[in-house]
Amino acid sequence: MTNQPRILVVDDEPQLTRVLRTGLKSHGYDVRVAADGLAGFEAFNDWHPDLVITDLAMPNVDGLELCRRLRAISQVPIIVLSAKGEEKTKVEALDLGADDFVTKPFGIDELLARVRASLRRAKAPPVNEATQTTLDSGDFHVDLETREITVHDKPIHLTPKEFDLLVYFIRHSGKVLTHRTLLAALWGGNYVEQNEYLRVFVGNLRKKIEADSATPRYILTEPWIGYRFDPGQ
Amino acid sequence: MRRSILDRKWAGYVVAALSVGLLTLVLKIIGGHVNAATVSLALLLNVLFVATRWGSLPALLASILAMLCFNFFFLPPFSTFTIAATDNWIALLAFLITAVTAGQLSARAKRRAEEAEFGRREIERLYAELRDAFQRASHAEALRQSEKLKSALLDAVTHDLRTPLTSIKASITTLLDEVRGGEPPVSLDLDSRVEMMEVIDEESDRLSRFINGLIELARIEAGELQLRRHWGAVDEIISTALSRAKPITRNHRVELKVEKELPGVRVDERAVSEVVYTLIDNAAKYSPEGSTIRLSARRAGDELIQMTVEDNGPGIANDLRERVFDKFFRATRNGDVTTRQPTGTGMGLAIAKGIIEAHEGRIWIESGEGGRGTRVVFTVPTNQ
Repeated sequence: MTNQPRILVVDDEPQLTRVLRTGLKSHGYDVRVAADGLAGFEAFNDWHPDLVITDLAMPNVDGLELCRRLRAISQVPIIVLSAKGEEKTKVEALDLGADDFVTKPFGIDELLARVRASLRRAKAPPVNEATQTTLDSGDFHVDLETREITVHDKPIHLTPKEFDLLVYFIRHSGKVLTHRTLLAALWGGNYVEQNEYLRVFVGNLRKKIEADSATPRYILTEPWIGYRFDPGQ
Repeated sequence: MRRSILDRKWAGYVVAALSVGLLTLVLKIIGGHVNAATVSLALLLNVLFVATRWGSLPALLASILAMLCFNFFFLPPFSTFTIAATDNWIALLAFLITAVTAGQLSARAKRRAEEAEFGRREIERLYAELRDAFQRASHAEALRQSEKLKSALLDAVTHDLRTPLTSIKASITTLLDEVRGGEPPVSLDLDSRVEMMEVIDEESDRLSRFINGLIELARIEAGELQLRRHWGAVDEIISTALSRAKPITRNHRVELKVEKELPGVRVDERAVSEVVYTLIDNAAKYSPEGSTIRLSARRAGDELIQMTVEDNGPGIANDLRERVFDKFFRATRNGDVTTRQPTGTGMGLAIAKGIIEAHEGRIWIESGEGGRGTRVVFTVPTNQ
């Protein structure tokens, strides 16, 4: 069938690829597997999948190198399978352009939820940011010209930097954003190590948009990695 | 260290005065038997004594007192400070100059010796300090190395535990999804369901094997490997291993060469057979399908039986031939990247080595025939 989303699974562990192939197929996806980054990259060029799920530690071409090579030629969503203790590699993969990650061992539901979210984001029609004047996402409405934001129809007042940060979050809803990505996008390349800037601004933003900033529901922390924005319903 | 009273600063002057007085008294008592030259020499000796023990100033005092006593008691006219003969004036002056010079020289020599001694002690102290610092540093380095090793081992163990667990968890949740029904509903056909359950079954076995390996290794490392030694036949040990290895050698040819009339061995047959099985398993895993695995057993000298398992795989680089016996070390992970990641636990050879060494045997790796492939050789004593 041609309308089934295609998923390429790249992992050197044959038992896991067996399970993922069957599990994903039973949820209506067309699945191919590859045992290392090199085979994965070839399969990608051959088959043009809608999404790639890849392990990080693999022989030949590893997951990081695969992310790098894929990003050079494509915007295909990439979900990284990582293990606890691989935080550094995980962040590197996200910085290289991976969209999301799932930590081993994981339940199939968790993986499927990430797959659906990534596919949804990839399917959303491209927006011309230059001509766009309003932004609607979940509980948020943004007027980019007057720089006004409402949450649940309640206006909130933000400083210019807070406004930019929130707009960036809304534009990348659901995606894991590393500290480095956020700092580079909002402050520029010289600030990528200044995590405390980000912490302060996220803290302030949470006080203004969250009902309870101690248990945030919009700006979620991904420990050691960054943040993920959930715009709500 | 407690300083004695003689080390006090004023003690030198007191001793100088007392010694000159005492010496004069003694010389006076022996009286007529000593001439002026003897007296001057004796007094000079005293000055030297004071100088070497208490330094230049007490020596100077001793010199002056000795000169006065020499003049007063021993140079005529006696009991006055006047001197009649001119040559006695010269003798007295010579005595004074000699006493002062000798005193100062020996005091200086003493100071030098003291300085040298101080220098020596300082060097010793520095040496001890350096040695302590070095010991502390190397101790810290050893600790750091051992911590690094521990964390590398932990990484290896967690990876090997987590990998099968991930497959199990993914299979179970897929099956659960179907049973519980979801939105959209999932339908697994019978084959898929069986496949999921097979994965769970196989991966549980893998976990169990890994845990057994860990226990075995821990036992070996604690020196608690309990060997049940009996007299056994080498060909029986090998054939037990071979029949167990049948499923994993399906795609290989196996050649067996056992020397005739081998003596019996007194070993734990189960353990040695386990070693042979591990070696066959490795050979099958790391050599291409269709290639030959060669097993052999022969005498090596009067007291040893040597067994080998040889494959036609990529071989193991010289510098890794020791390390492959380290636990959790896998040659293919560090070196050759063209082969797939092995499915072993990284414990097989470590356990094999533990078992062979517990039998007072040896195990090592050579190149196979013609320098290709891997040949693992081990010996066990016949105990005849």
